[in-house]
Amino acid sequence: MLKMAMVLITLLMTLPAYAIDGTALLKQVDRNLNPESYEAYRKLINIEPDGKRKEFTMYSAKKGQDKIAVLFLAPASDKGRSTLRLGDNMWLNIPNIGKPIRITSLQSVVGGVFNNADIMNLDYSAEYDVESVSEAAGNYLLLLKAKTKTVAYDRLKMWVDKGKKLPMKIECLTEANMLIKTLYFKDHKDFGGGIVRPAVIETDSPLYKGYKSVMIFAKIKKRAFKDEVFTLTFMPNLDSLR
Amino acid sequence: MKRIAILFLILLLFIPAAVLAEESYTFDAAETEKKPYHFGGYVEFKPVLFGLDHDAAFYKLRFYNDPQGQTLPEWNGRVQLEGSYEKELFRLYAKTNTDLKYGYAGGSERSVFYEAYGSLKPADSLKVDAGKKTLKWGKGYAWNPVAFADRPKDPDDPELALEGYIVATADYIKSFDGPLKTFSFTPVLFPVYNHVNEAFGNDYKLNVAGRFYFLLYDTDIDLIFMTGGSRTDRYGVDFSRNITTNFEIHGEFAYIRNYQKNVIDAQGNPFTVEGDAQSYLIGLRHLTTFDLTTILEYYHNGTGFSGDDMKNYYAFINRGYNVYQSTGNTAPMTAAQQMAEGNYGRFSPQENYLYLRLSQKEPFDILYFTPAVTWMMNTDDQSYSLTPELLYTGITNLELRLRMGIIVGGRNTEYGEKQNDYRIEFRAGYYF
Repeated sequence: MLKMAMVLITLLMTLPAYAIDGTALLKQVDRNLNPESYEAYRKLINIEPDGKRKEFTMYSAKKGQDKIAVLFLAPASDKGRSTLRLGDNMWLNIPNIGKPIRITSLQSVVGGVFNNADIMNLDYSAEYDVESVSEAAGNYLLLLKAKTKTVAYDRLKMWVDKGKKLPMKIECLTEANMLIKTLYFKDHKDFGGGIVRPAVIETDSPLYKGYKSVMIFAKIKKRAFKDEVFTLTFMPNLDSLR
Repeated sequence: MKRIAILFLILLLFIPAAVLAEESYTFDAAETEKKPYHFGGYVEFKPVLFGLDHDAAFYKLRFYNDPQGQTLPEWNGRVQLEGSYEKELFRLYAKTNTDLKYGYAGGSERSVFYEAYGSLKPADSLKVDAGKKTLKWGKGYAWNPVAFADRPKDPDDPELALEGYIVATADYIKSFDGPLKTFSFTPVLFPVYNHVNEAFGNDYKLNVAGRFYFLLYDTDIDLIFMTGGSRTDRYGVDFSRNITTNFEIHGEFAYIRNYQKNVIDAQGNPFTVEGDAQSYLIGLRHLTTFDLTTILEYYHNGTGFSGDDMKNYYAFINRGYNVYQSTGNTAPMTAAQQMAEGNYGRFSPQENYLYLRLSQKEPFDILYFTPAVTWMMNTDDQSYSLTPELLYTGITNLELRLRMGIIVGGRNTEYGEKQNDYRIEFRAGYYF
């Protein structure tokens, strides 16, 4: 009888951990990070080992699961450049060259540790399946696997703040579990409209020893866009959305 | 106790440093504010050293009455200014270009509006532009045979800004769910009159061009046409598609009706060949995991000259050069120069070309540093140019590029008859 009671108690104690619906949690994390459709401004800073910095300012518009457009506002050398992502398709439009060219998720239009997939990131739940979820040091640890081969990182290890349901740290891994980069989510801020999320994402990479890139968010705002905004033909006109 | 106090003091000294090491980042709201107007620009300084080939036809053509030494320095400058003003649905945009050159013949300056147009955008799905504008059609990197309403780009520097034409154009966009994700239509009115696009073709014609764009099954497809009489009717199609995330293919096909090609025969007599011409391009872009980008393109120029056509032209130059040397008569060389200003001197004047560009982004973890090498070959005569380059963009708004062009080819080949054996070029460009 005592044995039965012990087993029952053990099962009840472990039940909450197994009861976590990883997919629902990931979707919750996505919604806590951004509304499904929104606009935002970002500053991206690449910091070299000697402390030298290069900064980019960007305007982003995102709609639904698979559409995001980014317009570069500064520096002058990059002003007017824009990138567009429709699912797995990515393009870069450079005003001088004019016509949008196809780019890939692992390239970086800004140099540094952030690549195009980081700059034009979709919802995590749109690109990754939850392989497992567990509790680690009072927080959740999600192990994510890319849904398709076209996703930039094969695997993600995501540490999620249990209370806020927001990512604290993400390790981006290859299929063989080699670390490509780590993203650190910092500085929680109230952006208004019920959006409370990290305002800073830092990243470093063993592939770029000593280098660091930082993304700072501002003016994240829920906004509806027409589908036509997320087209190659519209790319030169993205500034008209601001 | 004294030791503990000292340790504590040392710790106190180090703690502020540790706190400071945790950097704070600022993002001033003013950086995101949109102003109704914008002003910016670009200045460039580009010294070039040419290593001359005294036996080449194009050397003789250019310097027959002013011979140069083994090398020829040239100093180039460029100033581009751009500005825009936006109010509600309306926007005005202008971009000027001034080229400055100081070379063996002294200094020269040419200023022109590259673009100057007004836009009306009543909806996200509709925009109308009128004025001088570049359309930039096509998917190719080095060549665009379907860019019927654009000036040809220089395959040696295909990313340079180009001067536009005076047009009236519109963009209508429609998005869908399903395999066809996007459709857009860009009609173009292209007038050719006195002082309006008059170098384009026959005068007093209102040409009509258009592009239909489809994003269908993750493939960009354009159907393009131009008609109206300034140039013969032409139709084109292009596509671009990612086979995998890091492997893109693209292509263009142009069909040009009744194309007239002015050539000279072996005796130097001019005549015209007329017929339908087909030009096409097929290319790929590939990125490795270690950031090596490969661009490979094959271009067939259906309006180009054959090897025999070019041999006749080179022979014409050589005969004219000999006439000038023996009699001082410049007429044959003047005629040859006029032909060069026509089709013989254009970019990629012959029929078949191969283009390969390898660029390695940030090797040895050096941020913003991109070495590259470009190889461009005329596959008919196997002459080629090889251009290694170093690009550094690490200083905000400053772009530094050092490149060397080496030209290889025998007599009567395209690259062998160019005026240079090599070219060393430094370019410093600053954006503001």
